[in-house]
Amino acid sequence: MTLSAWAQWSAFIIFAIISIAGALGMATTMSMFRSGIFLMGSFFGVAGLFILLLADLLALLQVMMYIGGMLVMILFMVMFSHDPGGSMMAGMKMSPIENFFSLGIPPEEMEEMEEMEEMDMSGMSMTTPVKMHAAVIGLITGIGLVALLLLRPVWPVVSTLPAPDSARKVGTLLMSKYMMAFEGAGLLILIGIFGAVLMARAGRFAEKPGRDARVAHEDPPAPIDRKPLAPDHPPVGEVPEMEVPEAHGD
Amino acid sequence: MAIPLTAYLIVAAVLFAIGVYAVMAQRSAVMILMGIEVLLNAVGLNIVAFWRYVGPGDYSAQIFLIIIVTVGAVEMGIGLAIMMLLYRNRQSVQVDMFKDLNG
Repeated sequence: MTLSAWAQWSAFIIFAIISIAGALGMATTMSMFRSGIFLMGSFFGVAGLFILLLADLLALLQVMMYIGGMLVMILFMVMFSHDPGGSMMAGMKMSPIENFFSLGIPPEEMEEMEEMEEMDMSGMSMTTPVKMHAAVIGLITGIGLVALLLLRPVWPVVSTLPAPDSARKVGTLLMSKYMMAFEGAGLLILIGIFGAVLMARAGRFAEKPGRDARVAHEDPPAPIDRKPLAPDHPPVGEVPEMEVPEAHGD
Repeated sequence: MAIPLTAYLIVAAVLFAIGVYAVMAQRSAVMILMGIEVLLNAVGLNIVAFWRYVGPGDYSAQIFLIIIVTVGAVEMGIGLAIMMLLYRNRQSVQVDMFKDLNG
């Protein structure tokens, strides 16, 4: 079953706008957490385009790998960063597009504004000082690619529909023709896990700051100063108050 | 097939340009990794669009994309481990704090 041309175009435009606006928001907002959320929107948009291209397995892979896996890792690492919410940068001078995507971030109240003015504000910014050069290079890249696409003569487009069970085809191909690539990817993941664990653990240079080995140390624990116990029996004449639980009648 | 192939390729080109900007302009290593993800997404969109319009019978394109996603995941894991190490050594993940690593 194929959709009508109108429905295809509207779905395409919606997903393209979602993916491009998400990527643009990721690149320009001042808040890193918001960047991660924008990136999730962009991944969803691209997954929608995959479905529109009848690559349903890849759309599923996109959602599961990128959004389920990598984005969680990214948001975990955002917590380590300096000023993840962007409130320190929100009061700074921004270009209009950065202003649009950082809308609603409350700027942090700074008490000594005069002292802050004298400080080097370039160390606080989210972007490097070469931001304008980067914007120009990105713009040139985009314009160049789009121009090349528009000037290019048409590709030999065939109009056959792909088979409806793409997962079966991909699985068969992965297990027969691309067996070595499959095994290589598995080996790569294994080596990657080893490398990540090896880098993140405390190793031989445990005396270096930041790589302290978490070992049980030999010092005896500090003595506990304990008060002598209260006498077992209260002095005569004082009846300790006891809470009698209220009996509930049936 | 109402939508021409060029429309998808233009979306991918715009995504690629935004990714290039993000990789070059961002200061934090996490943001640079996010930019790389956008670049990989643009490449994947290109691959799938060409598969659909030029050779829909050959599923090698989808396997190519699966391998790209796998390599991207490994790269992300290693990159975040390096960042964790740098953070523990210098309490910063901003890449221009590490100019002395420049060979």
